[in-house]
Amino acid sequence: MSKPRVAIFDFACCEGCQLQIVNLEEEIIDLVTLVDVVEWREAMSEQSEEYDIAIIEGSITRPQDEERLKEIRERAKILIALGACAVTGGINKLKNNFDLEDVKKCVYGKDAAMPHLDTAMTKAVGEVVKVDFVVPGCPINRAEFAVIVRSLALGKTPVLPTYPVCVECKMRENGCRFEYDEICLGPITRAGCDAPCPSAGHWCYGCRGYVDDPNVNAAKDILEKYGKTIDDLKSKMLLFNSKQEPTL
Amino acid sequence: MSVKKLDKKALNSWVESLVAGQKVFGVQAKGERFAFAELTDASALRLDYDVTMLPPKKYFLPQREDLLTFKRSGGHESVIECDPFVLLGVHPYDFVAIRQMDAIFEKDNDDIHYKARRNAATIVVCDVQNASENVFAGCMNGAVVEDGYDVLITGIGKDYLLDAGTEKGEALLHGVGAPDARAEDMAERSKVWEANKAALKKHELKCAPADLPKLLGSSEEHPVWAEKAEGCFSCGSCNLVCPTCYCFDVQDEIDWNMDSGRRYRCWDGCMLTNFATVTGNHNFRPKVEDRYRHRYYRKGKYIPEKIGEISCVGCGRCITACVAKIANPVEIYNRLLEGK
Repeated sequence: MSKPRVAIFDFACCEGCQLQIVNLEEEIIDLVTLVDVVEWREAMSEQSEEYDIAIIEGSITRPQDEERLKEIRERAKILIALGACAVTGGINKLKNNFDLEDVKKCVYGKDAAMPHLDTAMTKAVGEVVKVDFVVPGCPINRAEFAVIVRSLALGKTPVLPTYPVCVECKMRENGCRFEYDEICLGPITRAGCDAPCPSAGHWCYGCRGYVDDPNVNAAKDILEKYGKTIDDLKSKMLLFNSKQEPTL
Repeated sequence: MSVKKLDKKALNSWVESLVAGQKVFGVQAKGERFAFAELTDASALRLDYDVTMLPPKKYFLPQREDLLTFKRSGGHESVIECDPFVLLGVHPYDFVAIRQMDAIFEKDNDDIHYKARRNAATIVVCDVQNASENVFAGCMNGAVVEDGYDVLITGIGKDYLLDAGTEKGEALLHGVGAPDARAEDMAERSKVWEANKAALKKHELKCAPADLPKLLGSSEEHPVWAEKAEGCFSCGSCNLVCPTCYCFDVQDEIDWNMDSGRRYRCWDGCMLTNFATVTGNHNFRPKVEDRYRHRYYRKGKYIPEKIGEISCVGCGRCITACVAKIANPVEIYNRLLEGK
């Protein structure tokens, strides 16, 4: 059987998730033994229009990007959204909290009306085309990415955790960030990252998006117990979870 | 078996000799709280701790543990890790929990992985010197233990009594050049025990633990389950920090060569959404309320029916760990006693 051909594409993002793939280091050799990478702008110069698996990094912020993404979807048998920008829209969705004209003026100043700087409201990849699998996180957890790739190669459906970050945080024996007078998004955020932020003494930013059925009402209810307000919570959720359902 | 009396200096020398001679896991500060971790410096040991964030079950049932390695091309081999170690400073309630795990893991299918780790351990129990904010071990027969330990350390005034309860414990105390405890020292220890039984009651259970199975037997429809479940994140924190929660998930992982791989188990928890999801994506406890009630039934009814003991030792970790503050077992059981 021939090896599956993989192409990696980037849209609006920092390309940090691709960098995490590069950061697999010696495992990269194993990866390319298993699959045939035919296009990957960040790591090689070859390009190809024939591939089985498309990995998409970044969110969709221009009409022409939507067209490009749809073409990729048509060519690929499997499409994987890589990283927060692709999976939920990530921090690029901060833009969607404002008027688009104001956003353009704020970023581009007097050049705001230039055609090549045209922009639209941010969309996650799944809001434009069908996504088969997601690798969440900002950046992605490369160990999780490796497990997902190996599962797919074996013909096994990769399964993401349905429980929140608290599980991995407790396993690492961290003190709860709420005890440090912080609001932490761990209780409503999908695990799989191994809780690196709380383990380094910081609240969870929620970069992996919500668990399937987040108890947002409970999140509201506990605020009073910790002397916080709904606005405190909302301000934490803006960064990675702007315009995500469910909202407060 | 002998009981030795050591002053602080002699105790430190003993710990130093343990650390020099073998692998020791002891209680140490972690941030503003405490955790069991490998002890390489005797002076880092904190026998004055109140409670550790995770119970010592992590040394017998690690958060993640390989069970076997396999090859798709054929064959598999069990992975059994059992380097000897000393577990230093286990509080009585956690020791009671370990003995319950012993009973559970030798029932039905003998768990060779748990057993290997358990046999490799020498457990030094230490009577509680400072009560944690939510401990209620005094209500759950978990404030003191009078047998079963390899060594028991009890602080009496400025000195410590070291009691070897088994041959393993006797071997650990071998060479300690300290005098035997006298009758009045033993009387002091009894006073510490009586004091701890009263002090480790930050929450007061209004019935005997033995009454819980019957109480739960008639409380399936009590409104408290739904009320509390409204605030539940299904985060499993109460499960993970619980010294008697032992449920695990089993998964296979393949290597890049697509041939070799491993089967591992990792902690699971009945409060997590998909804990009871089985083949075909059927979840037989889909509602938070069902899962919430189930956990209290495990502790107060189902496990007791298996091993004859209430499966809550009163460590209070769940109360502290729950962000929503809905996981106080004493509050729940007292509420059930009110009948509405």
